[in-house]
Amino acid sequence: MSNFFKLIYNELFKIFVRKSTWFMFVALFIVILGMGFLEKGFGDDYTSENWRAELEQENKELQKDLEEDDMEDSPFYDFAMSTIEENNYRLEHDIMPLSTGGWSFMYLSTSFLGLVSLFTIVIAAGIVANEFSQGTIKLLLIRPIHRSIILLSKYIAVLIFGFITAVSLLLLSLGVGGILFGFEEHIPAVVIDNTEGLTHISVLKETIYQYSFYSINLIMITTFAFMISAVFRNNALSIGVALFLLFTGNTVVQFFSDKEWAKYLLFANTDLRPYFDGKPLFEGMTLSFSITILLVYYAVFVILAWGIFTRRDIA
Amino acid sequence: MKTPALELINVTKRIGNKEIIKGLQFTIDKGEVFGFIGPNGAGKTTTIRMIVGLMSLTEGDIRIHGKSIKTNYKEAVREIGAIVENPELYPYMTGWQNLKHFARMIPGITDERIKEIISLVKMEKAIHEKVKRYSLGMRQRLGIAQALLHNPSILILDEPTNGLDPAGIREIREYIRALAKEENVAIIISSHLLAEIEQMCDRIGIIKNGELITTQSVHDTEDEEQSEAEQIFLFDIKPAKKAQEILESEFDAEIDHKDGILTIKTSRKKVPEMVKTLVKHDMDIYQVATSKSTLEDKFFDLIGENIIE
Repeated sequence: MSNFFKLIYNELFKIFVRKSTWFMFVALFIVILGMGFLEKGFGDDYTSENWRAELEQENKELQKDLEEDDMEDSPFYDFAMSTIEENNYRLEHDIMPLSTGGWSFMYLSTSFLGLVSLFTIVIAAGIVANEFSQGTIKLLLIRPIHRSIILLSKYIAVLIFGFITAVSLLLLSLGVGGILFGFEEHIPAVVIDNTEGLTHISVLKETIYQYSFYSINLIMITTFAFMISAVFRNNALSIGVALFLLFTGNTVVQFFSDKEWAKYLLFANTDLRPYFDGKPLFEGMTLSFSITILLVYYAVFVILAWGIFTRRDIA
Repeated sequence: MKTPALELINVTKRIGNKEIIKGLQFTIDKGEVFGFIGPNGAGKTTTIRMIVGLMSLTEGDIRIHGKSIKTNYKEAVREIGAIVENPELYPYMTGWQNLKHFARMIPGITDERIKEIISLVKMEKAIHEKVKRYSLGMRQRLGIAQALLHNPSILILDEPTNGLDPAGIREIREYIRALAKEENVAIIISSHLLAEIEQMCDRIGIIKNGELITTQSVHDTEDEEQSEAEQIFLFDIKPAKKAQEILESEFDAEIDHKDGILTIKTSRKKVPEMVKTLVKHDMDIYQVATSKSTLEDKFFDLIGENIIE
């Protein structure tokens, strides 16, 4: 068993010994830092004294806008209405809005989860394909270890990398937020809309939820990239196809949303959050339906990757 | 009967309809250095890839100390150390990191063992430099080092002297001989440099178009000297023309005359008589030499021209 850990260590070593990997983390840090300065310059700055007055003021202005232009169909209408609703909820329950502060900033970092996918896809795409392009696959596979085990060690290394990247995003944003703004006295709460109407949840909890739910998306897209890498041995192809899926997946689902088969698409099922908030994407979809679909896709990726990698002649 | 180190039994490889390897059959004993030669595209590398488990066999079996590569892969491959084609290592890691990487894949390789191998291939100085800065010769040495890490009982080297300077080649050659003799390692060397093979190997197998044409002991030529078989002798004599006439009249031999040198095909026994006769006729003899048929001649005799069918 300890032998298997050594294989995973080998794979992680090969990932982290390369400078290009560290550039990813530098890029992540720069993005978070940039976001921090933007937030410092333009973010809402509520204080415990003034926030009630500000929310009331905002509501008044929105109300006025709505009365002036008669535009019930525009997206602004929905936005304004939900903002007013949220503000009222906060005033009623005495929940201060998110402000510039470490905890709030950590919550904002969830919008960069796509970067975690991006970086993990790059690693997944290279981890098998690079061994082929460098020619090192030959020396790797003439050891007394079955190919399926070697592939598994690579796959687990990719998942660990994804986990490390996600945790880095979380901790870096917490750190940058804390240093730039300091921490709020109390951990603030976000207001969310679920089946029972508006409710509130602490940003810490909500952030953890978002990261957790996103991990399903991350695992699926990463497994897909890994499968392409193992099957086609081509780094660029693997990155390209996986990124394309990542960026267009949700759009494709929306585009075909009137079709009966759209609910079988992978990206119609990667977000399980709606089942807990009570708003499934399509009529008749259930949590167990989505989990089944995900498992089927996952099994197909795994069978293709392992089936082809373990049988192929290495030329 | 003792088990051979390596045994190929009717090894056949088909890709699509094309039969690349056609029923290869040979064995290699412990402590034997076996040269595997043949023109490009003959199937040397394909055969080596099947032995190390990189390619599957269409038919037949490969047994390593009696263990089948098909049914007992792990135990069979554990006995093998190899370089397949060029020694391609991780360019972004140091030599040391590369060796550590491969050492982690097999239990029981200590840092002391790694250091021992490094000094064996004389890489102490450059071992902490990145492999991308290595010369081809240094990569070759590192490649040999990774193949030897786990004390394999069979060593497979594809073109091992490629990129080495003459001093390096001599070192490797001596080291290979020592490994075979002292540690009883069976060694397979594939090469196109026939002179190299001749000096390193006990036996060679010549492969052409996926078939093993012949296997033959390198030292056969020395045994032939005692036999009755006809050989080629070179006589450097003046005047050559007259000598040819004399010999043709007194002996039953094929004689060619070229650039003042007579090429005579005869048995070894007759040579002293010929010399005596020539001395009697007052010929000036400068040199009499045997023209040993070298492996290279044999190679070309056997495979004809370097044609890939």
